[in-house]
Formats: sequence, C-alpha cells, structure tokens
Amino acid sequence: MAKEVEIRSREDTFKLTSCDERPWPVTPPPSEEEVMKVYAKRKAEEFGKWCEDNLRFEYAWSKPEALQGVRVLEVGLWRLSHMFAASLLAELGAEVIKVEPPEGDPLRKLTPFGREEYMLEDQYTGEKCGLEFIHEMRNKYSITLNLETEEGRELYKKLAKTVDIIFEGYPPGWTDEMGIGYRQLSEINPRLIYVWIGQVGQWGPWKDRVSKFGQWMLEPFGQCACSFVHNTGYPPDLMPRGKGGDPTRSGVWLADYVAGEQAAVNALAALYWRDEVSGEGQFIEVTAAEAMMDILDFDITWYGFNASIKARTGSWDPNLNQYAWNPCKDGYMMIGGQTDRLWYRICMCIERDFPQFGRLITEDPLLKEMAARNALEALVKTYTLTSRWLRDINRIEAEQKLLEYDIAAGPLLYIDETCEFPHFKYRPWIYTIEDEHYGTILYATPPNAFQMRTPARVKWLGRPLGKDNEEIFMKRLGIDQIKLRELKEKGVV
Amino acid sequence: MCDIIWCKKCNTVNYLDPFNFWNWEGKVKCAGCDTVYYIYMIQGQMYKGPEERPGEEPDILPLYADQPLNGYEAFKPGIEGKTRPYNCLPREIYLGKADWRKFSIRNWPMRAWAPQPPSAGIAGSHGFKWDIEKLSPEVWEEFLEKKKKGEVRDW
Amino acid sequence: MIEKERIPMEEQPGPRSKEELDANKMPFEEYCRKVFDPGNEFEKPAALSGVRWMSCTMYIFTPHAVSNLAELGAEVVKIEMPRMGDPMKHTSPFNECYYYPLHDERPMTGQGIGCVNANVNEYFITMDYHREEMKEPFYRLVRMSDGLTECYRPGTFDRWKQSYRYLMEINPRFIYVWGGGFGYGPKVFGGSYDILGQSHAGLASITGFHEDFGGHPVKHTNWCIDWYSGTMITVGVLAALYWRRKTGLGTMIEFSQVQCATRCCGYGVPLYGRFGIVRQRWGNWDTQLCVHGIIICGKSDYPDAKNPQLRDEARYVMVSAFNDPDFKELCNIIKRPDLYEKYQKHKDRVEAEAQVEIYDALEKWAADKSRSEVVKILTDAGLLAMPVYNDMEVYESPHYRMRGTVRWQFDPIFGDQLVHSTYSCGLMSKTPRRKFWDFRPVGADNVKIYHEMLGYPISTIKEWYDKRLI
Repeated sequence: MAKEVEIRSREDTFKLTSCDERPWPVTPPPSEEEVMKVYAKRKAEEFGKWCEDNLRFEYAWSKPEALQGVRVLEVGLWRLSHMFAASLLAELGAEVIKVEPPEGDPLRKLTPFGREEYMLEDQYTGEKCGLEFIHEMRNKYSITLNLETEEGRELYKKLAKTVDIIFEGYPPGWTDEMGIGYRQLSEINPRLIYVWIGQVGQWGPWKDRVSKFGQWMLEPFGQCACSFVHNTGYPPDLMPRGKGGDPTRSGVWLADYVAGEQAAVNALAALYWRDEVSGEGQFIEVTAAEAMMDILDFDITWYGFNASIKARTGSWDPNLNQYAWNPCKDGYMMIGGQTDRLWYRICMCIERDFPQFGRLITEDPLLKEMAARNALEALVKTYTLTSRWLRDINRIEAEQKLLEYDIAAGPLLYIDETCEFPHFKYRPWIYTIEDEHYGTILYATPPNAFQMRTPARVKWLGRPLGKDNEEIFMKRLGIDQIKLRELKEKGVV
Repeated sequence: MCDIIWCKKCNTVNYLDPFNFWNWEGKVKCAGCDTVYYIYMIQGQMYKGPEERPGEEPDILPLYADQPLNGYEAFKPGIEGKTRPYNCLPREIYLGKADWRKFSIRNWPMRAWAPQPPSAGIAGSHGFKWDIEKLSPEVWEEFLEKKKKGEVRDW
Repeated sequence: MIEKERIPMEEQPGPRSKEELDANKMPFEEYCRKVFDPGNEFEKPAALSGVRWMSCTMYIFTPHAVSNLAELGAEVVKIEMPRMGDPMKHTSPFNECYYYPLHDERPMTGQGIGCVNANVNEYFITMDYHREEMKEPFYRLVRMSDGLTECYRPGTFDRWKQSYRYLMEINPRFIYVWGGGFGYGPKVFGGSYDILGQSHAGLASITGFHEDFGGHPVKHTNWCIDWYSGTMITVGVLAALYWRRKTGLGTMIEFSQVQCATRCCGYGVPLYGRFGIVRQRWGNWDTQLCVHGIIICGKSDYPDAKNPQLRDEARYVMVSAFNDPDFKELCNIIKRPDLYEKYQKHKDRVEAEAQVEIYDALEKWAADKSRSEVVKILTDAGLLAMPVYNDMEVYESPHYRMRGTVRWQFDPIFGDQLVHSTYSCGLMSKTPRRKFWDFRPVGADNVKIYHEMLGYPISTIKEWYDKRLI
C-alpha cells in the first residue's frame, strides 16, 4: 500500500522503519520443503531431517541448560571483554550477576555518534540505554554496589563467597588495593576462579594505564599492541595513504571479544579441574592484546623465521589467489578458489562475458603454476581483470554465475542484508526477542544455540540498572528491602 | 578498455588496480611507450578516456603492465619511470619462492630447507627428536661454530 | 586476648605461614609475576588432563577449536589424509616459509607456516575414511575418546556411518562437534572460508574507511575470524563436558563459523532491527567515543631502516582522550583550545562532523613529528597514547618477554620456532597452558596411536601403509 511521506529529518525515518511498521523478517524464510530439496541434491535428506529434528533453534526452550547452577559475577566498566565472557556463560545457563556502581556501567551511555534517538528507553522508568550495552547484556542480573565504600566492599566480599567464577575488569591492582582482589577473596573462598580481563596486562612494562584524569584504556589499544592493526588495511601502494592506505582497526572492538571468549574457555577449564580433580580455584589473567596475538596466524613466527614484518594487503590474501573481494556494480563480491581446478573454472565463468579475461589470464605463462599466482604482480593482474568483469554485474548475478561452476563465491553483505539472508532466517542467527522493558529487539543469536541436548539461548536482553537489587540482596545476602533502603541512602548501593 | 589501458601504440596492457582507480580522475602513463592518457573512472566504469595527452606529466604510474603480443613480457612493480613501486612488503627483498634456511634469526638450527634426508620410521612415524648430528652433521658443525663465535643468542 | 588464644592457630583467619604472609604483603605486580610464574608452566598440572579428543579437521577453524583443548592438557589425535596432510600445510605467506619434511615420499614439499599454531600438542595420524578397513580403528578410537570435531560437508560422515547418530550408540558419553560454514538450511553445503565469514556476516561492511573518504571495506588480517570462531566452539565443548559430569551423556553440537562473525557486530544488528539504520564503516575512528582513534604522524620512527615496514609504516599512533578533562588537555597540547570550547560535551564531539574536524586538527599537529615524539608528548601530559606496533616491536617488547607471551621454543622435529600462541591465551596460576610442539610430519604418530593405543600389530600397520589406507 503506497503512501505519501515527507522526510525532513532523521527522526522522520524512524516511523517508517520501526519494527511495528516493518517487522523483521521482511520476507519469510524458505520453507522446510524447499530446504529438503537442497539436502536431496546430495542425497542427504534423511540426515538433514535428523539434524533439524535434533538441532532446531526453536527447540532450545524444551532442553536443559549446560551450566545450570554455575554462579558468576561480572564486575567492570566500559569494556566488552568481561561482558562477553560472562555472556557466553550466561547463554549456556550460568547465573550471572553484573555488579555496577550506583551510576551504572558507563557503557550504558554510549551510542553511535552520540545520537540519543538510537538508545532504547525503559518503558517503566524512561531510562535510556545504549544498544551496545543492551546487545551484550544477556541473561544477566544487574545489581548496584558502590565498591568505593567500605561497606560496599564488605557486601561484595560476602557475595564473592557464594560464587564460582568472577570476571573482573578494573585497572591493574585496583581491586587488590581495595582488599577485594584475588589475594583477598581466595582466602575466604578458596574455590573461587578469578579472571582479570584487560587490554595489555595487569603487570609488566606495558600494563594497562589510567590517564592522569582517570580515563581507562579501552579497545582498540589491544588491537594496536599486538600488531593486528599494523597488519590490517590497504597498503599505500593500492590506496593513497591517509585515505585508506593505512593500518586499519577492526570496525568492532574485536580484541575485547577474543579476550572474552578465551577467558570463558580458561574459566571453564579451571572449573573442570576444580570439580574433577583438585577442589581449588585459581587466578587467571587474559588480555585483549595477547589473546588477539594468539590468533594472528603466523605473523610473529614469520619474524623469527627470516625477519619479515607482516605487511598489509587490503582485501587480498598474500597466501592464496583468488581469495579476496573486489568492487562490483552494487557493492563488493568475494571469490575464493586457490587450486588449479577452481582457478580454471573461474576463468571459464568469467570469459563467457568477458573473453579478454580468458585470453589475458590463460595465455600468460606466469600464471600457470599455483604458487606463482601468489606473486604480487599476479594478484594485481588477476584482480584488475576480475573487477573489470564485476563492474558490470551486481552481486546476485555474480554469485549465480559463479555457483554454476561450483566456485565458492559470496556477496559482501551489509548488515540489513545479513539480517534478511534466507539461510540466516531459516537457521536463525538473527532473531527477535520481546523484552519487557525495551520492546522488540533484533539480536545476533548465540552460535552455541544449535545443540542436541543443551543449546545456548537468550532469555532476556538488556537489564535496567539495579533491577535485581531486591532479589539478589535477599537471596544471597539476606538483606531485606528496608535495610536496602538504608544502604541506598548511605550511598553504598 | 577500462580497468586496463590497452595502449594501442605499443600493445602494452596497463593494469589499473581496482581499489585505487575505482573512483579516480587523472593522467596515467603507459609503461610500454610513455604515452600519457587521461582517464575519468567512476565506479569502475570509464566515464571519460583514455584520451591521449601528449606533453603532459602523468599523475600516477600503473602498478603492473604486460605485453600479450610479446609473450607476456612483464613490467613488474617498481621499474623506474615505468611502474610505480610496491613498497608495502614484509622485507626489503621479495622472493616469491621458498626461502630455505638452516638457522632462525637468533642462529639456532631450524629445519627449513629441502631436501631433508629421510628420517621416518614405519608408516611415516617420527619420534620426538631431530637428530641433527646424524641427519645433517654439517648444520650441527656450523651451529657449534656459531656458538664458539658467540653468534648464538637467546633472542 | 584470651578468646583469641582459645582458637587453634590453623583456624584463625589470616596467613598461616611466612610464605603466605609474604605473598599477601608483596606489591601486586610482584605477586602476579610470582603466582603466574611464566616459564615454569610444566611444573604445574594441566586443567584437562584425562580428556581425549579426536580432531577430524582441516584448515584453521575447527583445528583451532580442538587445539585449545590440547593446550589445556587434553590428549588430541589429529587425523589427516594419507601422504597429503592437512591442506593448510600447503600454504605459506608469499610462498616463502616452509618447514621440511612434510613426508619422506615428497622431500621437496614442505609444511607451510600457514598452519602454525592450529594443531598444537597433537598426535598426527593418517586415515582414509573411504576405506571399509578403517571403520574398525575409527570406532576403536571413538570408544576410547571423549569427543570429536569434524568439518566435512554435512552428510559425509553420515554416509561413512560416522555421524553422531551412529557414534552415540557405541559411546553414549561422546561429544560430537560439527563445525562448518552455515549449518542446516538452504546453504548447508556452502563452503566456509574466513573471508566468506567476514563478508557474509556483515563484519566486512563495518571495517575500513568510509565510502565518503574514498575507502573500501577491508579484510581483517590473515584468517583471524576463523580462529575467533574456533574458540567459541571450545566454549561449547567445555560446557558440554561440565554437563556430562552431571548426566553422563554426550551431545552433538552444530556450529556455524559465519554466524560467529555476526555475533561480534555489536550494536549493528539491534540498530537495524529497531531503527532501520544500516551501520557503515568509520575507518580508524570510533563511532561511540571521541577522541579515540588512530592518527598518522609525519615521520616514521625508523627513517633509515631497510625494511619498508619500519621505514615507511611505523608512524601511526592510537590516541584516546574521550573524557572531558582528557579532551581539554589534548586540545591544549595541540594548541587548539577553541576545539574544546566548541565541543565541551562528549555528545557534541562524537558527532560525525565534529570527529572529522577534530582528527584533522590532531593530524595537522602531528604532521611534523615522529611517532615516538607524539606518544611521548601525550603520555608525558598524562594522556593515553600508544604506537601501533609491528611484529618486530612485539618480538622485542620487554612486556611480552617478561610475561612469556612471546618465546622461543625448540620444536622436537622442526627446530627453532618463535611462538606467540598458547601462552598468550591467558595466564593461569594453577593449571597453565603449555606448548610441547607445533605440528608434526604427516603420519608421525601412526605407530604410537594405532599400535600403542589401539593395539594393532606392526605388520598390520605396515600393510595398511602400503595399501595407502593410512
């Protein structure tokens, strides 16, 4: 149904795109019958059906939770690292309490370009919360506690006695000085697994710093400290320096995520050891820079091999040809295929439309051998000619043409396209949740949600500040709401 | 001819790499014969050009060019006056083939050259030792020499 | 006084020995160094001792998921294709770095460093799943293991009667993990690459310089999304191990690599869902904080170096001054107090146009200085700044050396190797991670596993080898 709309500001667009006007998904996911046909093409219908019967996302709610009974505290400000670590455990069923100062985690107030209209408002209190915080506040309780006061710390210690794992993200040594660090807490709870997650370290010559005025060190310091940023981006030979030909950071706080997940791995391994073997907790330290360094493939090993310092290569890969994305008519198209078989198939596909490609590529003796195709000149030539083909077609066409030849190719999707991609709707990795406070929210589902017996799930998203004070203080500390009011007046809570 | 400039004078194909030139206007010099061409590329499509601009200075050189009618004689990156250099390399030398080495940068032995003398047991089994003295005695000798000269470092 | 005397010494709170007393009074840094004790990991137990896993994996994504377990002490058996090995062993940057041998039958083919760090501490055997004779050894291995991870196209293991519905019958405690591109659904047979993960998941569309500045989306270096997704599987596996302690049951986990990249897109997904706004790239600046970005300085720190990465590229600095007093100080340093007057509130300066103006001023100020000068000036003023380090600087860093993050190890088969994995995943005070070796030649542990673990006679193994079953 067409209608006339006048748009004079950004705010005017919200009425058109809100989830009431334009609910997700815009087009329905493919049907089960259509998908069965896909399985049938490779004679795997029975297996495909068995998989779906056992792994479907929607069945998660009738299955138990893997980490039920595990108790976790999350205490830290600004960063996503400890939040992500705790999220991973919370999605799998652990009981996670986020301890925030009475003003709340400052991450609640961050929003893209400072635009408050992108924040979600609690329907009861009117309090606004940024989307970054909401997206990572999964299945967690929020309590407030002022750790700067002595009474607040005493309460924190009592709480720490009742938990299995703590993820902490304060500046180096702060909790120790306050008497609530690992040294002190392990005395009263020797079974405690205590994980500190930071940027570069809580000890050592480059340990995390706080600025003279009290500002914390946040991502992407971690990415810069381990050479990730240096190794990512376009070289100035392919794009002008200062306009893209520079070391580039990841668009997201990637090292925080990487540190968070390694912290979750280490914490769960420590839990296993504690319960299976020793009965003891331990102190664990994970840093964004080092966790990121672990996954830089061979970059630093290469230096030890022959003093090479990894250089950046943009969206091309120095190890494989073709393995890159290049610009096309409506965006960017990724084509992958290193082996000879795939290489020649790509040629066959492209030369149907662009015979010059076939000629210039297949006649060239320099491109005959697989290893020789990784030479820089070969990459330049191959991708220049590929773009010459791509500039005339859009992503869907390119994908269809390449798939006919069984080449792994895919369009570079923008976030809205990712959210509407048929496969990602059928096997949901974007999903909606109706939250009591914030309304309908679209979120990225946990990758661990596809399990036979104990799938991960998101039970709630976002949590107003201090919502669970009454419940947690009563259940864990035996403090009733009258006492809680007194504590609040004193500024302890 | 777009994204490439096929110079008809000398039959050199000049490759205009996709990211730099995707939206670009200016003058490019042919690597084969030094003719300067003006082009105006928008979203990869050649909106204007290539037009010859005799006597003018180019803004940029191509990164790579070759000659299909001449056995694909190539103008690699970094030839003075013909192609622009590719500087963003991991080292000042670029091999493009296996770099056989016997020692790491701190001068300890490293099994990174071929061929290696056969050393596998049954069904390809290996133990947990690189018997350098037995398999590559010359490398072991060299290592001991380096140690004597104090060239073997901790880092 | 008398009360205290009545309580036995052992039961009184506080340190019980001089060592404990010293530990409690030590400065925190020293305490950390002592308790983590980098370099002496082997004296302490391993967290997952006793867990045994099968790695039927290739490339980076699924091998890394299992390698995490091996680093934590699990015993892992990696199964490769006979004679060829893992395809990842045939990649190497610019075709330059290989270790030899891969296999005695091909002495001129090496193992590229492309697969370094992905199969740490594992035992390498070969097995051809297609052959009927290999079913029995495979099942024997399954009965003796806690789980496996595989990455073959869905249906492949099923055809070979090796999928979970078969294995759960012979070992109910078995934890089966499938890792691949997409999982069940219309694209179920889609191949999975790291670069595909980045592009399909929306992550590539938000990384790189903005279109308006002439930028294009850029790929995260090498294959780090493969690795990042692999670790998420490990979280799932460890949770399944925990649950199994209670119930005695294994499980099947189906894991999509591309999905992990969407999971880390932060606010991008809810922003689209609620407001229809599609997040774009914002280069080296931050969309939610200002000033918090990477700037370019005029001069590199090593103008005379031969290596172009040092000579030309060592000139970027990460600067962070988003709180009001920090920003004020920054403006004073760059002699632009007018910027502070104009953008006193964070809400104002984090707007897009403001960021353009502010970073432009910052880079103008830095245009005549070298990277270390810029860092020094800002750090001396009490602000947070750090150079963008390259691999050489990471190698020479006193910080990582002291913490044992970067270290040399003499690999049992391949000799000297610079390690930056395993120990870097985190310090654990009682059950640290450790690395024994990186990778081994194809079939290096055929005798060890087939004969010593599974009980097949040597003559059988020789026969299998000659028939190319292993």
